Amino acid sequence: MTIYTRRRATNLVILTLSLFATGLGLLVLFLILGALLYHGVPALSPSTFTQATPAPGNQGGLSNAIFGSVVMTAVATLIGTPVGILTGTYLAEYGRGTWLAPLVRFVNDILLSAPSIVIGVFVYTLMVVPMGHFSAWAGSIALAILVVPVVVRTTEDMLNLVPSGLREAAFALGTPGWKVVVMITYRAALQGMMTGVMLAVARIAGETAPLLFTALNNQFSTTNLNGPMGNLPVVIFQFAMSPYADWQRLAWGGALLITFAILFLNIGARFLANWSGGSTSR
Amino acid sequence: MTIDVNRVDTPTQSPARPPLGTAPMVSINRTAERGVPQTKVVIKDLRFYYRNYEALKGINLELYDRRVTAFIGPSGCGKSTLLRILNRIYDLYPGQRATGQVLVDGKDILDPRTDLNLLRARIGMVFQKPTPFPMSIYDNIAFGIRLYESLSAQELDNRVEQALRRAALWDEVKDKLKQSGLSLSGGQQQRLCIARAVAVKPEILLLDEPCSALDPLSTQRVEELIAELKSDYTIAIVTHNMQQAARSSDYTAFMYLGQLIEFDETEAIFTHPKERQTEDYITGRFG
Amino acid sequence: MVDAVLDTTTAGANSGRQRLADLLFRGTTRLFAFGVLMLLGAVMLSLLIGGAPAFQAFGFAFLWGDVWNPVKQIFGGAPAIYGTLITSLIAMLIGVPLALGVAMFLTELCPPLLRRPIGILIELLAAIPSIIYGIWGLFVLAPFLQLTVQPFLKETLGNIPLIDFLFRGPPLGIGVLTAGFILAVMVLPFIAAVTRDVFLTVPAILRESAYGIGCTTAEVVRDIVLPYTRIGVVGGVMLGLGRALGETMAVTFVIGNAHRISASLLAPGTTISATLANEFSEAVGPLYIPSLVLLGFILFIITFCVLAIAKLLLLRLDRQAAK
Repeated sequence: MTIYTRRRATNLVILTLSLFATGLGLLVLFLILGALLYHGVPALSPSTFTQATPAPGNQGGLSNAIFGSVVMTAVATLIGTPVGILTGTYLAEYGRGTWLAPLVRFVNDILLSAPSIVIGVFVYTLMVVPMGHFSAWAGSIALAILVVPVVVRTTEDMLNLVPSGLREAAFALGTPGWKVVVMITYRAALQGMMTGVMLAVARIAGETAPLLFTALNNQFSTTNLNGPMGNLPVVIFQFAMSPYADWQRLAWGGALLITFAILFLNIGARFLANWSGGSTSR
Repeated sequence: MTIDVNRVDTPTQSPARPPLGTAPMVSINRTAERGVPQTKVVIKDLRFYYRNYEALKGINLELYDRRVTAFIGPSGCGKSTLLRILNRIYDLYPGQRATGQVLVDGKDILDPRTDLNLLRARIGMVFQKPTPFPMSIYDNIAFGIRLYESLSAQELDNRVEQALRRAALWDEVKDKLKQSGLSLSGGQQQRLCIARAVAVKPEILLLDEPCSALDPLSTQRVEELIAELKSDYTIAIVTHNMQQAARSSDYTAFMYLGQLIEFDETEAIFTHPKERQTEDYITGRFG
Repeated sequence: MVDAVLDTTTAGANSGRQRLADLLFRGTTRLFAFGVLMLLGAVMLSLLIGGAPAFQAFGFAFLWGDVWNPVKQIFGGAPAIYGTLITSLIAMLIGVPLALGVAMFLTELCPPLLRRPIGILIELLAAIPSIIYGIWGLFVLAPFLQLTVQPFLKETLGNIPLIDFLFRGPPLGIGVLTAGFILAVMVLPFIAAVTRDVFLTVPAILRESAYGIGCTTAEVVRDIVLPYTRIGVVGGVMLGLGRALGETMAVTFVIGNAHRISASLLAPGTTISATLANEFSEAVGPLYIPSLVLLGFILFIITFCVLAIAKLLLLRLDRQAAK
């Protein structure tokens, strides 16, 4: 073989492999989604949403788990988003030239990728032990800690995208500093910031580890945030690992619900980000 | 010095004004007909530094009340820098500083004790690139007014309409006041920015190359606007377009490399400039 | 001329009440920024304090002790630490080449129209929660591996003298290797996304010159793109590693949860996060929870170091790109 044909062959092999790699990734995606649909759709019925988790061998649904997940996700978002937005505002608007801003950015990125189970242990020591019991509040706090880094990142990125000419125009009118940020800059970056919140929600919606020893789980329906509360991820964990067929079925149903909710949020966030430009200049 | 929010009652805001669009292009030689020019702004030995680089090297000049002063010169000569000192907008950028004095009605605005928000409410600025706020057309105008005055809904409506009329934009937008400011064309956006600036009733208007991002038709409308506005405001305009300076201004300042080369009545500058450099620039030998 | 960076802080003197509002707002944002720092400190501190009793009892021997006996309250972290490291290693060995392949495909081979959709699909892989990977792994992948891949590996690589010990034992489907596979798929999208973004920073003129002298695509990537983006790629890989080390649910489902260090990849094992997930809520005894917390602390330190290195590398890349 001449050098040239050898090079061409190598090229072909490598390119084929890269195609194969992409194909493999896409294959896995479709296998997972396919398995979810295959096992999960038969498990879903109206009773899934109306009945609480059953004892093994009984009929039941996931209503308490769905409720708990929704509640804790909402509380976590309500707590974590303002913290994240204010921190992101500091980094984008007030942090220039300070030593604090680069450090916070660094730490934030570490928290972004930190193992979520460790956060669970942290909240356990912080809240569950002093309180003496598991609680949905503890679970929400654990999730909120996961929300913050995502919102900080996206808020800072979005605020930095707002052209400084817009801020200057506001200052030139005599607008005080905080109003420039709150009434002009936030408004200009609103779409992007909301995308960030949606992505954060998508992130925590499927998180199991932080809930394992904070909110734990609850077989029954409850609205008491001060005690253990059912939630989809932990229910899926328990039911899937169990030997009971109907529990396993419910686990698939729950998995389907979570996954498609998250994909929906992700795609929705993308749409929001690209919707009608949204930038401040033509 | 406090802002006089009740300027609406001052005699100069005469209601009897020719409808917009019908006013003739005002010849600059009307200066004499409008009385003796009063000094509004005195700039004394103004120097400006970007970090350690001296961008303005000792500027001395005066701006006259209800007159248009144009600043011309090649790129980088410092004319925009000078303009941005007049409303202390450079303060937003650490590392930029000015020395000397800039007296507006006798008071030095470079004094660190100056209230910058009130200053900027008295001295309005329109930038090169139109920057409408991300809100409705109505709110764009109302935003500045609401900062300093609390008006009834009716009064606010009137002020917004007034401002839009002055900017020759009312007829085009009166049916879509709730639409976003960003939905307007480039020329309309710039007129919106002008309306926004005049809505808060400033005393001085700073225009930083307001037409350079606009098409010729919009440019013409904005120039007509400036001619209209000068009966009520002191106007300083930076422009790359010499014909625009010659058409629209009463006084012209020619700057080069951070220095004021010549400052005189516009007619004098363009017909018999005293400095060689001025003549070279005007005749297009450089720049 | 106005290309300096605008700082809202230096907006200057204001009238009294507005100044107060400005200071309050700015102060609040600063406070919360500090809060994020405090959060990290608090996490590390609480892990340290919580794990202290175990450290007092076992000392540094905890790191290589391989006995995990809740009844006798003797705990050693070695199986969990080993499992964490080995599963992450497998994940990297499989996932990194795949991710590089995906990035290369997306930047060089893929028709422009398909680039965005395929990129989005790959990113959706990252959005799927860990627990979904877990049950898919347990119910779909593990049986598949048990029936096909594992016997295949035993028959082929399991007969090569120097590495046969890696494939001893019955094919159970679950185990260290399966966990490694799942982790590989989970880190694939992260590394691919960062690598793709980094590949795109290569100036077009460099790539065009290489193609211009007749390089094949593979050569352009190997000789031009990769060396140029070396730092960023390594940063992305370390980011993926950080993720793999901390993954919990997916691993818990398929690793078999045995506190044993086995040489064979087909054997069950455990990782730090899987141990925590399985045992924390039922741990009794004075040293049980502290041992678990100590394991958590070790995991946190490991991931912290890996992520810090990743971040520093990516920062270096930003500085290089800005020049």
